[in-house]
Amino acid sequence: MTKKSWIMISLVVAAAIAATLVTAFPADAGKLEDAIAKTPQGVEKGMIDQSAPPGFMGIPGAPRTFWLYGILWGIWVGWIFSSVGAFGGVMAGVGHITVFGLADYGNTFKQTNPTLNKLLTDSIRVCNQYLVGLSAVISSLTYYRMGRLVLPLGLCLAGGGILGAYLVPVLTAGKINLSMYVGYFGLVVFAVAGVLFYETTPRGQASKKAAKAAAKAFEDANIRKTTAGSEQAAEWARGVHVTQWGLTKIVFTFYGAEFSFNPIWPIIGGFVISAISAFIGVGGGFLYVPFLTSIAGLPMFIVAGTSALAVLVSMITSIFSYMFLKSVPVDFLLIGTELIGIFIGSILGPVTSKNIPEVWLKRLFVVLALYVGIGYLTKGFLGKSLLPGM
Amino acid sequence: MTETLFLTTRWYNKKGPVQSGPLPVIPIKSSVEMHQIFLTFDSLMIQLYRLTGYTLVDFFLGTFVLALAAKIIGELTSSMAFLAVRQYIEKSTDEMVRFQNLSVDALTVGDGATYTACNKLANDAFGKTFFMQVSLSAALLWPVPFVLAWMQSRFSDVEFELLFTDYSVGYLCIFITLYAAAYLIFKRIKYRVPYFREMAEIMAGYRKRAREMKSLADLLPPRRV
Repeated sequence: MTKKSWIMISLVVAAAIAATLVTAFPADAGKLEDAIAKTPQGVEKGMIDQSAPPGFMGIPGAPRTFWLYGILWGIWVGWIFSSVGAFGGVMAGVGHITVFGLADYGNTFKQTNPTLNKLLTDSIRVCNQYLVGLSAVISSLTYYRMGRLVLPLGLCLAGGGILGAYLVPVLTAGKINLSMYVGYFGLVVFAVAGVLFYETTPRGQASKKAAKAAAKAFEDANIRKTTAGSEQAAEWARGVHVTQWGLTKIVFTFYGAEFSFNPIWPIIGGFVISAISAFIGVGGGFLYVPFLTSIAGLPMFIVAGTSALAVLVSMITSIFSYMFLKSVPVDFLLIGTELIGIFIGSILGPVTSKNIPEVWLKRLFVVLALYVGIGYLTKGFLGKSLLPGM
Repeated sequence: MTETLFLTTRWYNKKGPVQSGPLPVIPIKSSVEMHQIFLTFDSLMIQLYRLTGYTLVDFFLGTFVLALAAKIIGELTSSMAFLAVRQYIEKSTDEMVRFQNLSVDALTVGDGATYTACNKLANDAFGKTFFMQVSLSAALLWPVPFVLAWMQSRFSDVEFELLFTDYSVGYLCIFITLYAAAYLIFKRIKYRVPYFREMAEIMAGYRKRAREMKSLADLLPPRRV
């Protein structure tokens, strides 16, 4: 990577931090303690029993996760990440919402102390983002080094990303109750299920097979010729033309294959993706990649670098906004135990993928995603889950 | 909690007014109760905050040592995890480079359909390695939340006023800053350790593979000087 690129990326990161700090105000100190103090004291639902042992975030009587369960759930998440991909992020959220009982616990305060209910929602969002997002940042850095970034495109994406990742925490922190959050989470799970389902359909499978066949045929027929002589390659290279360069459209062609994009789309795309990521509490890499390849039709080496930059900038902005602007507390111990599990799971993924065909894994997760999606949608928007265990 | 931290500099206590200048030694307790898991290590970890006897220096020095320890432990576990799944990563990287290069070659001969097909396969391979990296990154980061959880139970009420402003930062901001410093320092010294030097050589091989990826820029005619 060139020195210029380093300077530019430093500027973008600095801009993200500055955007947060410039608009900062003194932290709302003691937010959790205040919320706990204002909750009715007692042993019934919706009350806090001060004599009960501390649980999630040190709240007396809150669900207390045995450390081994955190690790086991992390293994499950890590295994999915390394065998199927983005669905691991969804499962991290399911752990916080359902498995560790935080949504049900938070909902008990809906009437008695809505502030605590919303604070727990924000905390779950930030826990999700820490768990998935921080890891995504590290891997994005790796890909940034590997990939070849188209800086103007990355900056457009990041510009929109900063706005989305800043506005969502500022506008929604403390305002979204757990039921709504669970409902919207269910919608995202459905979207992921849809993508996974398409990949398992005969059409999805056929397109992959066709792509492989086309690649193989091309490799056999052309690759040797292509690399045979530098003179011939140079002759082909002279066919590269940027035909239009402007604020609204950039077009370039390579011997008949035409690429074009409107710079406004990366900005809007970056904004929408980072807003969804910050709202649900995920990294966003899984949305940037299909956006850049399917909608913008860009080549892989561009996608790797630009999505890495976009994830990095929007994650920094979002976590800073939640943590420093809105003082959302997080349970670091829970995150730590889950991270241990994720790294164990990431080692198991490649081992099992040798024995289980990828398409069957995806089918399994489609069923699981539908179950979770229906459960969360009905729980969030109808008040009660149609399916047990949610 | 029986232990207390003493600060003797510009400080800001959540429960009291902002004060400045040299202060009398004031005990600041955390409002977060310490988890059972940390009680065992607490007496050892707090020793890191008593190295010089100067409270402010001790706070920064102790936090830096913890950040460095978190970084070193993370590097060790992530390198072990990497070695465990090396073959898988090699396979995905090869696939990614192969299809990426094929897609660029397809462009050079004007075959748009093959470009799209190869680009899709390259992206699938990229997705695989991306999420593999995501989960492997956990091996690098897991010590950080544990340190933060301990610091939360120790120093959650400690805040430092930002100079010339009414804003303040807590233990989290100090730790993140010092972790970044530890990252940069460790990056420079780790290759003196044979184990990490060996890992660096393996990683250099991957970077070389990545450089073999062709980009659209490779298709441009050479610049005339």
